Amino acid sequence: MSRFAEPMTRLIDELKKLPGIGNKSAQRLAFHILRSSADDAAALASAVQDLKAKLQLCTICNNITDVDPCVYCSSPTRNQKLVCVVEEPTNIASVEKTRHFNGVYHVLHGSISPLHGVGPEQLRIGNLLSRVSGGEIEEVILATNPTVEGEATATYLAQQLKRQGLRVTRIAMGFPVGSDIEYTDEVTMLKAMEGRREM
Amino acid sequence: MALKESEAIVLRTYPLRESDLLVTLFTRLEGKVKGVARSAMKSRRRFGGALEPLTYVRAVYDDRERRDLARLDSCEVIESPMASEVTYSRAAALAHVAELLDEILPDREPSDAVFRLSLAVLHEMRGAVLWMPLTYFELWMTRLMGFLPEFGECVVCGRELDGNRAFYHALADGLTCLDDKRIASSELSPESRKIAGQMLRSRVSEFAAIEWPKAVGQDLRKFLLQILERHIEKKLVTAGMLERIAG
Repeated sequence: MSRFAEPMTRLIDELKKLPGIGNKSAQRLAFHILRSSADDAAALASAVQDLKAKLQLCTICNNITDVDPCVYCSSPTRNQKLVCVVEEPTNIASVEKTRHFNGVYHVLHGSISPLHGVGPEQLRIGNLLSRVSGGEIEEVILATNPTVEGEATATYLAQQLKRQGLRVTRIAMGFPVGSDIEYTDEVTMLKAMEGRREM
Repeated sequence: MALKESEAIVLRTYPLRESDLLVTLFTRLEGKVKGVARSAMKSRRRFGGALEPLTYVRAVYDDRERRDLARLDSCEVIESPMASEVTYSRAAALAHVAELLDEILPDREPSDAVFRLSLAVLHEMRGAVLWMPLTYFELWMTRLMGFLPEFGECVVCGRELDGNRAFYHALADGLTCLDDKRIASSELSPESRKIAGQMLRSRVSEFAAIEWPKAVGQDLRKFLLQILERHIEKKLVTAGMLERIAG
């Protein structure tokens, strides 16, 4: 027999499905929701429902959006000739934080990961290639993660995009600002040396 | 607390809780060891790129009695796969080595021979040559695990196969002659059997200068893969990916 009433058990089971939420955390959240007002609980339920009902992928860049095309793709102030390719929609926020990038994005929704059976055909590469084939894009910046999987994805994309005569660039790899060279591993150092620039 | 230090090859990582990583290491000291790298996802300062698959590291880990998981204290990179260009085909080949080691090696059973084989093969995989080190790796893994059948004679009648056609079947061990071959068998060419013989007598580096497109030894790799998959009782995800890669 369950320790809690059926609706509580159901909510705990659903919350446990969330990343980073174990049994104890799920119980704590469930009891918090139980103790909160009916309006707050309804607002939470409605926010979850709206998330699924109203959000979609932008047909141009695959970003998650409530309007199609998304705010970046439809903005007249952004440079539509400059495309930054990222692995996940959350990566866009990191680039936007710099306030220095005025181009648009393309979200792959993953990276090439042979250990997980993810090849190029599972990523949203097709509409990137058709997007650049229009001839209006001048440069593609590959901003995939500096991991084996991210590198494999960037190398694959570079091969595909260069065939179309585009300028393809890769984001730099090296030291985080404020770090110390003394504590850097050899791969980071190697990549930093490879990516050095003239001053 | 028992702090241990060993050379190791990182096989896989999985996200664990909010910011930790569950890491599978193939250590020289103890074989396959699973451990937790605390805060590895949140802060890269401690582990940096050392937890990328197939990175050769010097690992320090804390092993306590009655605990399956070690606590990974630090990892110093000795050689990283990211030091050379990572293409899609190279990533798939590296992943294949990692998956095979992870699936086939038992936990906490050291094997210096497999460790040395893995290092030698990874060293050869730094460039664009992939099919040769992959063939060598699969052949020697099959042998070191004790699964490699005799290439020279038919398992059914014992007839000498040298100079004759040889066949293998997905559900049976060993090679058979033309008379004893089962329905739906595949042929293992004399050239591939010769390659296998040479590889079993030589170091992987001795084949480095030979041009080796995908077609060379393809039947041998299929034969070896069938043996390995039959023993681990599952299909390797990376094998399917490698099959789709052009030579």
